[in-house]
Amino acid sequence: MSMKKFINRSENLVQELLEGYTLAYPDKVRLAGSNLVVRATRKAVGKVGVVTLGGSGHEPGLSGFVGYGMLDISVPGEIFAAPGPPRVLQAIKMAERGAGVLLVVLNHPGDVLTANVTMELAKKQGLNVQEILTHEDISSGPREKPEERRGLVGFLPVYKVAGAAAEEGCSLDEVLEIAERMERNMRTLTVALRGATHPSTGQLLLSLGDDEMEIGAGQHGEAGAGRMKLKGADETAEIMLGQLLEDLEAEEGEELLVIVNGSGATTMMELFLIFRRMSQILTAKKIKIARSLVGEYITTQEQSGFQMFIARMDRDLLRLWEAPCDTPYYVVR
Amino acid sequence: MNSDLFSQCNFAPECEKMISAVGFREFGWMVEGAIEKIRGGHTLLSELDAAIGDGDHGTTMLRGVNLLDKMLSNEAPNDLKSLTEKMGWTLMGVDGGSTGPLLGTFFLGISESIGDRQTLDAAALAEVFAAGLASLKRQTKAEVGDKTMIDALVPAIQSLQETAHAGKGIMEALRSAAEAAQKGALATKGFVARFGKAKFSGERTRGHQDPGATSICLILEGFYEGLLKRQAT
Repeated sequence: MSMKKFINRSENLVQELLEGYTLAYPDKVRLAGSNLVVRATRKAVGKVGVVTLGGSGHEPGLSGFVGYGMLDISVPGEIFAAPGPPRVLQAIKMAERGAGVLLVVLNHPGDVLTANVTMELAKKQGLNVQEILTHEDISSGPREKPEERRGLVGFLPVYKVAGAAAEEGCSLDEVLEIAERMERNMRTLTVALRGATHPSTGQLLLSLGDDEMEIGAGQHGEAGAGRMKLKGADETAEIMLGQLLEDLEAEEGEELLVIVNGSGATTMMELFLIFRRMSQILTAKKIKIARSLVGEYITTQEQSGFQMFIARMDRDLLRLWEAPCDTPYYVVR
Repeated sequence: MNSDLFSQCNFAPECEKMISAVGFREFGWMVEGAIEKIRGGHTLLSELDAAIGDGDHGTTMLRGVNLLDKMLSNEAPNDLKSLTEKMGWTLMGVDGGSTGPLLGTFFLGISESIGDRQTLDAAALAEVFAAGLASLKRQTKAEVGDKTMIDALVPAIQSLQETAHAGKGIMEALRSAAEAAQKGALATKGFVARFGKAKFSGERTRGHQDPGATSICLILEGFYEGLLKRQAT
């Protein structure tokens, strides 16, 4: 299988990627412990730590959001594969500043398993840690079965509000409550045009015909339910936003956070076309876009397509979303 | 392709000696056998994974056994409980999705149930392996038929227990476990994946043998072969 990527040796891929990333932003992040991405300046004593874990190959997710006001530590795994529990346990211990630690986990089988084993080991060792699982992808499970829904770009607002609450000095229970409120009120739907290749194995992760698109395809090329003929930007936005609004039961007068996240090989031009149509539809429905982001926050190599995200925001969530943060890939001043 | 893998296992009942108990030394031999087996089969494991997952299972397993090998050569503890505990932590530290944490949990479960015993007879070996399986099963909802490592592990442990309770020796018990794991791994061809990333490929996974179950099979074959090879020394 032909793969066209700038790679040295596949077995060194993750190590080299982490070195390059931390060398690029030395004022914000560095590597510590067993390849953990940590803040260059530690969080103040007495504040809740926020830690996440997840596979590599999704840059700038997840380690791109380590820094003041968001994550304290990210535990990167191998390409598309969760890290093992011992490194997560080490991260939890390092992030402890006397107020406990929140572990944010995106709902993917390997990540959840690592998190479960880690939580069991952490309890045995008497560590003060709480876990939140993000699962906002409406295509991978029905509303009644949230445990089947995958965690996608919604990690970003969860890191943001939890990180901001932690910086404000909230207790671990309060930080968890805010993270859960954000999580409950968010929804994502994906669409893919072309699959990515696994950068270590050369495996094609998703195969789609030249004239096809797939709504609901996962971040690793997991099959979705909605394979159909390729449509234009407006029509695609209409189909996807319709499903999201229905699932969230969003109503007139509500305020939403909207994110259009490119999957890696879709142009910003296309993403803005999608956002334009979303904005028109929401305006017509008298639903306000309180804040919006269009860009690449989590990618899957050269997969083309995007994730469409909406979340219902209340005053607390908006205030925490607007609070200062300083990470390599998201800054609020 | 798959049957080639299995034919490489040298079941040799005629060469088996009566081993009545396994201590840390014998357990180390078993693990060395498993390491060798995975090293020989990792390419095939990745090929199996490529058909239904993302093709990295062999690499993950290889990384795991290389770490085990390093641990055994440099810092192998000289009692069974610490040895299996160290194996558990080593495997857990393999960053490759579910495989490391599950296998790690399995060996940590074994370690906890060993207590202060220095040697295990066939019945005790079956008992601690069953405890390992119970630990592993707390971390996954997968059952037999879901196309995971459980499909090989459950029948293998069951067979190990039955053979041991029938009063047979350790070699025979390990052979029966490896044979049961082979059958279990082969049977996964008929199943549709309901766990892991393969789940999202649904019906497309039918007809392919599960790489995780195949790994379990290789490990158990390795346990048997490792002990068979060294039993006389």
